[in-house]
Amino acid sequence: MTTKAAGRASAESTRAYRNMLLPALIAVTAFGIVPLMGMFALSLTDYNLIKGSSGHFGLDNFFRLWQDRRFVNSVYVLAALSLLGVAFQVVLGTAVAVGLQKIVPKWKFARSLFLAPYAVPHIAVALVWLSIFTPTLSPINAFFDLFGITVPTMLTSQNGAIAAIVIADTWATYPFVMLLILAALNGISDDLDEASALDGASRIQSFFYITLPLLFPALLMVTLFRFIDTLKHFPLIFVMTKGGPGRSTQATNFYGYVQTFQNSNVSYGAAIAVFLFVFAAIVSFYVARLNVRLTNG
Amino acid sequence: MDDKSFAYRAKKASGIAMMLAFLAFAVLPILWVLILSLRPATALFEPIWESPTNLTFDNFRGIADSGFPRALLNSFLTAGIATILSMIVGVPAAFALAKSRLRGKFVASWVLLLLRMAPPVGFVIPLFLIYINAGLIDTYPGLIMAYMTLTLPLVVWSMWTTFAQIPNELIESALMDGASLAKALVLVVIPAARPGVVAAAILGFLIAWNDFFFALIITRGSTVTAPVSIMNFISSDSVDWGSIAVAAICVTLPIIPVMVIANRYIVQSLSGAVKG
Repeated sequence: MTTKAAGRASAESTRAYRNMLLPALIAVTAFGIVPLMGMFALSLTDYNLIKGSSGHFGLDNFFRLWQDRRFVNSVYVLAALSLLGVAFQVVLGTAVAVGLQKIVPKWKFARSLFLAPYAVPHIAVALVWLSIFTPTLSPINAFFDLFGITVPTMLTSQNGAIAAIVIADTWATYPFVMLLILAALNGISDDLDEASALDGASRIQSFFYITLPLLFPALLMVTLFRFIDTLKHFPLIFVMTKGGPGRSTQATNFYGYVQTFQNSNVSYGAAIAVFLFVFAAIVSFYVARLNVRLTNG
Repeated sequence: MDDKSFAYRAKKASGIAMMLAFLAFAVLPILWVLILSLRPATALFEPIWESPTNLTFDNFRGIADSGFPRALLNSFLTAGIATILSMIVGVPAAFALAKSRLRGKFVASWVLLLLRMAPPVGFVIPLFLIYINAGLIDTYPGLIMAYMTLTLPLVVWSMWTTFAQIPNELIESALMDGASLAKALVLVVIPAARPGVVAAAILGFLIAWNDFFFALIITRGSTVTAPVSIMNFISSDSVDWGSIAVAAICVTLPIIPVMVIANRYIVQSLSGAVKG
C-alpha cells in the first residue's frame, strides 16, 4: 500500500468512526447533557411548581443551603449511611470472596447463593427488610420471643433506623463487591501464597502482606463505585423510613426529592441536586483517572 | 504435632462457621419472603414454626387479578426497548471511542461517568418539567427516554472497555479483505466480543428494570412499572404483606435466570473495568 492510499484509508476510517459516534453523541446530549444543563439553570432561579418564578437569577439557593438546618442534617445522614454502608459492604464482600477462594473452595453451589441478593431489585430489597423490621411480623422478633427476649424496634429509633438501612443496603450490594474481588483474586497466582507459606508465613500473614496489597486497586475502585452509588440512596429510605423518625434518615438525595415534589420548591431541589452532582463529579474524576491508569497497565 | 493439628482444625472450623453465618445472612431473607408469600392472611402474624403447614397459593391468585401483571409487562417493555435502543446507538460509539484516534477521549469518558453517577434527582427535575409541557408524563416514549439516561452511558462505558481488549490486528485484517469499518464491526468485532455485548445488554436491562425513582415521578396510571405498582399494596391503614411478598418474588424471578446465564459474562465485563 502506498502512503497516499494509506492516508486516504485513514481519512476514510476517521470519517467512518465519526459517523459511528454521532448518533450516540446526539442521544447523550439529548438524554443526558440537556437535563443536566436544565438542572444547573433551574438551580439559579426561584421557580416553584405552584407559585411560578419571579424571573430573579442568582446564587441565592446555594447561600440558602448552608443556612438550612435540614440540608446540613441531610449531609450528616448521608455521610453516616454512605460511610457505614460502604465499609460493611466492602469488608463483607471481600471476606466472602476470600473465604470462597481460600476457606471453602469446594462450595461451588455457594457462589450463586451468595450472589442471590444482588438479583433482588432495590424496591423488593426495601420491602423485604421492612417486613423483617416490622415487629409484629418479623421472624427475628418471634424467634427471640421464644426465649423471652424483646428485640428493640429498629425503625422507630434514630440510630436504629440508620442501622436498618445500612443492613438492608449491605445485604443487597455486598455481592457486587464479592464479584469484583473474586475476579481480582483469580488474577492473583496461588504460587505467591505457596511461596510465602514455604517462607514460614501463616495464612493470615500471607493474606495481609501478599493478597491484600495485590487487591488494593480493585478494592479502591469498588469502594469508589459503591460510595458514588450510595449518594443516590432512595428506595430504601422511601419505603423503610420515609426519612424518619423525625429527619434522622433524610439523606440529601431524599431531601432533594422532598423539596422538589412535596414542597414544590423545584429550584431549591435543583440546587441540592447540583451539590450532589459536584460531589459525585469530583469522585468520578478520580475513578476515570484510576481506570485510565489501570487499563493502560 | 497433635496440638498443631488441633489448632489448625479449630481455625478451619471457625472459618467454615464464619462462612455459614454469612450464607445465612445472604439466604434467610429470601427464604423468609418465600414463606411470607405462601402464608394465608389469617396466619400472617403467627410464627412459621407454630403452623408450618398452613400454606396457600391465595396470594399468587390474588395478585393475578390486580393491576400488577400489567405493570410487569410495562417494566419489560420499557426496560427492553430502552436497552435495545441504547445498544444500537451505543455499541458503534463505544467501538469508535475504543479504536479511533479521535481526540477528547478522556473528556468523553469523564462525561459518561458523570452521567452514570449524577444524582437521579438532578435528571428528574428538568425531565419532569419538559415532560409536563410536552405531554410525555405517563407515556411509554417518556419513560423509555428517561431510562435511556441510565442505560446509554452504561452501555457505552462497558462496551468501551470490552472493545479496548479486542486486538487491532483483527480489525486491520478485516479491512485488508476489503470490508468497510461498519462491516468489520458487525461481522468480526461484535462476534469476538460477544461476552461483553451480552453483559452490557444485561446490565443495561437490569438498571432500567430496577428503577423506582424515574417511574415514581413520571408515571401515573397506564404506564406504571412493577416496582412502583408494588407500593399500591401499602395503604395508610393496612399493608397487604402477602401480595407484597408475591410481587417482590415476581420482580426478582425474571432476573435470576439472566443472572445465572450471564454470571460469567458479567464478571468478565465488570472485572474489565478493574483490571483492563
